[in-house]
Amino acid sequence: MKLDHFGHEANDSRLPIPQSEIHFSGLKRNQYTLSLLNEGQRAGLLDNREAYVIQNRLLLILQDLIRRYTQGKSSSVTTETAENILASVLYAVDAYLASLENHDKAILCLKTGDIADLYEKGVERVRQCFEETKRLYNEVKRQKLDVPVEAYNTTIEESLPIFLKKYGILFDAHNTMASMDYPLALDDMRLQGIFYIKQYLERLQIENRFCFKFAREDLLRLLENFGSVCRFDYRIELFNMFELVLNNALFSVLSGGDAGQIRISPYQFERLERMFSYADASEIRKMIREAMTRLQHNLQILDPKTVAYMNECGQNLIRRIVNAAEYHNLQAVIITDMEEKIQPVVLSLRAGDRMSDVRLRRLLDEIIRSETKEEKVRLIQSNFFSLHDYLDMLESDCLYGDEYDALYASFGDMELAILAKIVFYEELRNGSGDLLSIIRQKEDAEPDWQKRLIGFLKRLDASRINGIDKLIGKIDYEEISFY
Amino acid sequence: MNLSRLFNSMSLSIPEQHLIELLELNEKTQPFGLTLAPDEIKQLLAERNRVLHSYGRLELGIAATKEIIEVFSESPHIRQDHYASTLNELHEIFYFLKNETEDKIGDAKLIGIMKDCFDNECGGSLELLRSKLEEFAADFRIEAMRDELLREGEDDE
Repeated sequence: MKLDHFGHEANDSRLPIPQSEIHFSGLKRNQYTLSLLNEGQRAGLLDNREAYVIQNRLLLILQDLIRRYTQGKSSSVTTETAENILASVLYAVDAYLASLENHDKAILCLKTGDIADLYEKGVERVRQCFEETKRLYNEVKRQKLDVPVEAYNTTIEESLPIFLKKYGILFDAHNTMASMDYPLALDDMRLQGIFYIKQYLERLQIENRFCFKFAREDLLRLLENFGSVCRFDYRIELFNMFELVLNNALFSVLSGGDAGQIRISPYQFERLERMFSYADASEIRKMIREAMTRLQHNLQILDPKTVAYMNECGQNLIRRIVNAAEYHNLQAVIITDMEEKIQPVVLSLRAGDRMSDVRLRRLLDEIIRSETKEEKVRLIQSNFFSLHDYLDMLESDCLYGDEYDALYASFGDMELAILAKIVFYEELRNGSGDLLSIIRQKEDAEPDWQKRLIGFLKRLDASRINGIDKLIGKIDYEEISFY
Repeated sequence: MNLSRLFNSMSLSIPEQHLIELLELNEKTQPFGLTLAPDEIKQLLAERNRVLHSYGRLELGIAATKEIIEVFSESPHIRQDHYASTLNELHEIFYFLKNETEDKIGDAKLIGIMKDCFDNECGGSLELLRSKLEEFAADFRIEAMRDELLREGEDDE
């Protein structure tokens, strides 16, 4: 593999020649041609006249493209459109110049070459990259992980195909008009346009292939445990799965487990906690590096790109462990296998158990018409079993004032925990403290049922709230649908 | 890179050429009793540049200006004494409309619409023309948005 002078893959196989007066720090990969013009003038490799001629040639290309853009139907465009097309032209020229061996060669090319020809070669490189990216996308789509992580799925199923469909080599080459929410373990945002997307897919493929080395049920279990630790619904949050899997595989190796294993038992956690707590930063670095080598060996990972990617991620992990060990917070880094979830006994969380709309409407009517709050609570308790129906009922405003309190008073801790988990979702996921302090700090909420619930919880004693808090940690987020 | 500045610096020698092109057009407009003096042309080009700049637009050449002159010279409502000022105003309306219709209507078609409206509905009133075309642009955008939504709907199916 040969890299361009920014460390990205290049096609040219010739050997580099020594650098000259060009200051590397003055050059940008994103605006390579422009920074090269500036830096070339600064270093005396280009005079003003030459820079002017190069700019004029670029503008002639722009003129031609504007004509093509308007299909000859309009002689003017907005400045924004013209700037966009110019950025696209420069992106193509950048693509070619960055593929040359070094910056001197690139300046020489600008100085003596035919700019229109450089541009055409650049467009060809962009086109090639686009074709390779489409092929790569198809591979990634074929080998996609089967996990209920929304950002991951929509990025692959929706965002990337939209990008590939809309990408324009001539007028929009520099644009990265894709809303790829799924975060990579290591992202390089210095790239733009199709080169960025290609790199994103290459890295995603490395990540996917690695995750495929582990059992799917273990991966799902890890995600679930991770959600519990962070107190959020992992399905709708933005986080990287590869990093979690890699870290736990390393922890497994370090605590005497198998390299192909990502479930860490409480016993293994204790062992790791002891190891990290008594080690300094350099010892932790050494442990992780050795574990990484063993992991790569045992899983037979030989591809240099994958090895480099894993090693780079290992560096992040070392920093996190050192910090977490210092603050006695290793449970946030070492995702440990939790005990089985307690399933709520009264409320059904299955969407299939919902009642029909007609029946729901009839019951809501009946509740509204009931005269006493006791009657209303009795009606609710004897007819509502599904959480979805409960939420519909609460949202319908069929209760008023202290009728809510009467209903909440009839609930057990588990039901209150489920509702609290919905109402305090943001606070819990942000780690804003325990439930007791979250409730005390919460001033107000909408709609009314949430406001009344907060008031109700505020009146409960601390020990009951702590009991509810413990249950919140054990509720399976997966099963609660956040409408 | 300041694009407007660069374009201008590229076109330093061009105003003279534009002047000649527009003077030549007098031959075509003469039969309608309409001509532009060199100073009027210079003023017209300066005004056009100002308008382009104020609407955030860049233009290659003066094809639109020539089209406006040729098409509107046939209007029964334009007389020599207010010919130059009318052309200035028409440029203002034209580039305003280009922006407001989001570049979705080609120059020739847009100038045709302006001419038709000017001659008929507006009876030669520039003020009325501006207000009618503002309405036209608003309707056009709504229609374009509706078409886009429909297309998106079809894409989703």
